Amino acid sequence: MFKKLIASSTAKSPWIYHINTGSCNGCDIELVAVLTPRYDAERFGFKLAGTPRHADIVVVSGPITSQSKERLLRTLEQVPKPFCVVSLGSCPRSGNVFKGSYSVEGPLEKYVHVDVSVAGCTPKPEAVIEGLYTAAQILKEKRMALADKKQEAKGAETEVAEA
Amino acid sequence: MMNIMQHFPVIAVMSLFLGAFLVEIFGRKNKIVRNIITMIFVAISFLCIIALIKPVILDGEVISYWLGNWEPVNGYAIGIGYEVDALNLFFAILVVLTFTLSAIYSLRYMEKDDHLGHYYTLFLMLSGGVLGLVLTGDIFNMYVMVEIMTFAAVALTAFRNYKKGALESAFKYLVIGSVGSGFTLTGICLVYMQCHTLNMAQLSSILANHLTPTTILALALIFIGFGVKSFMVPFHTPAADAYTTAPSSISMVFSGMVNKAGVYGMIRLMFVVFMMMDKTAMQILLAAFGTITMFVGVTMALAQHDFKRLLAFHSISQIGYVLAACGLGTALGVSGGLFHAMNHTLFKGLLFLCAGAVYYATGTTNLDKLGGLSKKMPKTAICFLIGAFSISGLPPFNGFVSKWMIYQAAWSKGVETNNFFYVFVTIVAVVVSVMTLASFIKVTQAVFFGQPSEKCENAKEVPLAMRIPMWIMSALCILVGIFYNFINTNLLTPATNAVFNATNYIDKMMGSGYAAAAGVSETTIEPAALSYWDPILWLILFVIILAAVCIAILTGKRTRGEVLVNKTEAVDGKYATFFGGEKSEHSHVSGSDLFWGFKKNWGGYFKFMQGMHSGDVNDYSLYTVIASAVIIIVIFIFIH
Amino acid sequence: MTVLIQILLILFHVLVFPGFLFVFVCGLLLAGIDRKILARMQKRVGPPLLQPFYDFFKLMGKETIIPDAANKAVYRIAPIAGLASLVVTMNFIPVFSFSSFSFSADIIVIIYLLTIPAVALIVGGSASGSPFAGVGISREMVTMISYELPLILILLAVAKKAGGAELCFSLSGIVAWQQSTYLGIAHWSLIPAALAMLLVIPAEVGTQPFDTAEAETEICEGPLIEYSGAPLGVFKLNTAIKMFIMTSLFTCLFLGGIDTGIVALNALILFAIDAGLTILCMTFIHAVTARLKIEHLFKFYWTIVSGLALLSLILVWIGL
Repeated sequence: MFKKLIASSTAKSPWIYHINTGSCNGCDIELVAVLTPRYDAERFGFKLAGTPRHADIVVVSGPITSQSKERLLRTLEQVPKPFCVVSLGSCPRSGNVFKGSYSVEGPLEKYVHVDVSVAGCTPKPEAVIEGLYTAAQILKEKRMALADKKQEAKGAETEVAEA
Repeated sequence: MMNIMQHFPVIAVMSLFLGAFLVEIFGRKNKIVRNIITMIFVAISFLCIIALIKPVILDGEVISYWLGNWEPVNGYAIGIGYEVDALNLFFAILVVLTFTLSAIYSLRYMEKDDHLGHYYTLFLMLSGGVLGLVLTGDIFNMYVMVEIMTFAAVALTAFRNYKKGALESAFKYLVIGSVGSGFTLTGICLVYMQCHTLNMAQLSSILANHLTPTTILALALIFIGFGVKSFMVPFHTPAADAYTTAPSSISMVFSGMVNKAGVYGMIRLMFVVFMMMDKTAMQILLAAFGTITMFVGVTMALAQHDFKRLLAFHSISQIGYVLAACGLGTALGVSGGLFHAMNHTLFKGLLFLCAGAVYYATGTTNLDKLGGLSKKMPKTAICFLIGAFSISGLPPFNGFVSKWMIYQAAWSKGVETNNFFYVFVTIVAVVVSVMTLASFIKVTQAVFFGQPSEKCENAKEVPLAMRIPMWIMSALCILVGIFYNFINTNLLTPATNAVFNATNYIDKMMGSGYAAAAGVSETTIEPAALSYWDPILWLILFVIILAAVCIAILTGKRTRGEVLVNKTEAVDGKYATFFGGEKSEHSHVSGSDLFWGFKKNWGGYFKFMQGMHSGDVNDYSLYTVIASAVIIIVIFIFIH
Repeated sequence: MTVLIQILLILFHVLVFPGFLFVFVCGLLLAGIDRKILARMQKRVGPPLLQPFYDFFKLMGKETIIPDAANKAVYRIAPIAGLASLVVTMNFIPVFSFSSFSFSADIIVIIYLLTIPAVALIVGGSASGSPFAGVGISREMVTMISYELPLILILLAVAKKAGGAELCFSLSGIVAWQQSTYLGIAHWSLIPAALAMLLVIPAEVGTQPFDTAEAETEICEGPLIEYSGAPLGVFKLNTAIKMFIMTSLFTCLFLGGIDTGIVALNALILFAIDAGLTILCMTFIHAVTARLKIEHLFKFYWTIVSGLALLSLILVWIGL
């Protein structure tokens, strides 16, 4: 019972942590616009968290610059499981206009599994909301998988103990 | 049985003095002999006092002993009498508990110092002085004990004279302490001149209804004298230095029993001997000084950068609680004051021992240089937290119960007398309690939590001999907090009864019927009704908390080594502190940086207080003299 | 047998009503109402009413990362200790004429029990070893010093009004006094105290503009920065429960005279009043103000709010 309750709650209350890895600030503005009265992403339970420890969805915007790469990776490691990574805009996906620059080390896929990519330069708020919503559904599946894995591990332990 | 019991008080005191001489003679070179002698005599003293609990507190007897068997002649007491009633014994228990634990702690804590023979000699002298002061029934003997206590304390303050400021603080203590002793002696002379006796029981019956200008002056002088001994503001100035520079085992003794001796003298002389505390002016005087003391103490503590200095100012502040509570002059107030005195002995002793442990492990008590010790010294950290919560008065620790009694007493006194002053006392007491919490949060953050500083890198947990006294104190803090009703009926009520009913005290010493003849009246003291919560509820709650903690620990299993990003690029920062993605580095929010939002608003006050605590002994003497003048004038104007 | 029944009864009080389950549901519902109404005030649709429940259960399912710099035992125990003390506090606050324990529930005990959750947050934050948490706990502590003075003034004013020439420290006594005369708020000398109490509630709970300690935009949620998973969930729950307890305390002090005789109905009325108070003193203030700096917060509480409370106390003292 609790497994399902927690899983469905996970889909309904995704908290967002936003990392800017050298973005031009366009996507960042759009992400904030998503939380304003006009689009109001809070109706799906979205909330901006202040620290990666509270986050469920990590939103990365910008082409990973060499200065920000290490910081991005460290922050991503600090997010508790289960979590999703959403790449916002074209930059983290392809490098966009910055592609080939000496200081760009993208794309994001090189470092971490990206669950949802919201493309566009910049993506429309509607697209951002859809992306985040999709991420929340993926989050639920991840949570289910995690719970199953835990159960399997427990089952295995008891088997070992019995043997 | 009774005959043997009679000798116990005097054996308890004498064994300590005897021990002091023997340590000096036999124990100067040999460590083992020295320790054995000290522990034996401390143990004798401890057991003698504990053995007195049954007759004095449970059976309600008063034990008296005439030194040299010089009994009163023609109704005048000539010899020195020792007299133990519930009030004496209450303080005596605190004293023996403190010095026994301190002696155990000293064994390892002081091992790195030289001249330990002198240390133990002075330690035993100090203990004997305080115990004698508490047990004696003779006012001049009391003065002698005060002097022994003061000089041993001064010498011990300067014991680590290689430390910066040790000699200076000893000098300050010496000067201010001597001023206090001088006042006490003058007061005692005046009393002797007027009453021709030095026995407190007899004085009590003579002074009960006959106040002359001379005895009023004596009252004022003795009030000042014991005010200095209990480090009431503005006589508190040497305390801060002395507690800081003395070894922690001695700081514990200072706050656990030396200033309690002052409180005891105050209660014994003001309530029992002079019987002045039913006068509104005296009540307000004592309560006002108590309130000022608690407030100044705690605000100064908030501004400190040194662990022990901070604790020293808290000692001053907590004594303020005790004095203010006693100044209410009601049974509940005195019970609360005595209870707080007891709790202060427990938690402040514990905190000083923790400070000592920190010093032992790191070699410093500077709050700005410490940090992150809870990982290196987890047991000390737990003890410290227990002490900190107790002193801040969080339920269910012991400090809460006594503070609760003090608030109740102050407020009900205010409502009864329709005097807004007591409401003010209540409010200040509550606010001071919160500030106490604040300054202990500061210590917790600066010393035990956060990230280990350079000084703390190599810190290790202190040895078992030092931890045992800490554990005992911690356990007592919790037990007293839970079984407060037991303490209330068995210790506080008899002691409060002894404070308000001197009849037994007088009759035992001077022959039955003496008190009634002198017109000393008797009042019955009901045990204070304490029912702030139910032990059953507490136990159930405890079980629930325990279950919850177990769940919390079970769910908090760590899964190490799983990093979600690609292994080749991993930076392994999962368990590092979050710095906005930066590499975790040493950055510790130390104590002095905390609470600036509070300090900024109070800038003027703190600047003023800083100016007042100039460290100049001339200034301090001046405050002492001014305050003494004020006290004398107030007492003369308002007491008739 | 009677002992067993008694223990079961106490367990029921602690765990179900008015203990854990009751405050759990009511607190989270209040938090939901707060968020929903706030959104409506800002012309948004807002999250569903049950959003705090979702948040709580989600956090229960998240991984708990305990940082290396943290003191593990204190880090784990702190939220639980706060929760336990809140549950006990609720047992001491009478639901109108119903109070779960016969012995006197004392306002001093209430004050001290209410400090424990804040202390738990402070110690837990401090134990997590982050410098951001260090700044956060300092602010939380100053906030605590700020609201403690007006709170004690308010409680003393009400106690004096209720007791007259006698000592009346018990909350049940205050409620009984209101039932025998009329509501506390109807005594005009207590109105300044009621206003002060309305301003104390948001600081005690830590909502904007008095959430300086947990400012997520400047110090990354302060004491909570390193918390994740279940302990974080418990801390969020504590905040929600505190909302319910503080508003219930207000109800008890100033609106305690209502009594229908039926416990369930009483509880419903209590919840309705609490919801109203939440909207009045938390949601509304949140919607129209911005966060205060810590020294301004301290000044505000020690001058204006304490002034109001002191005014009330003096008025009551001189017999008005």
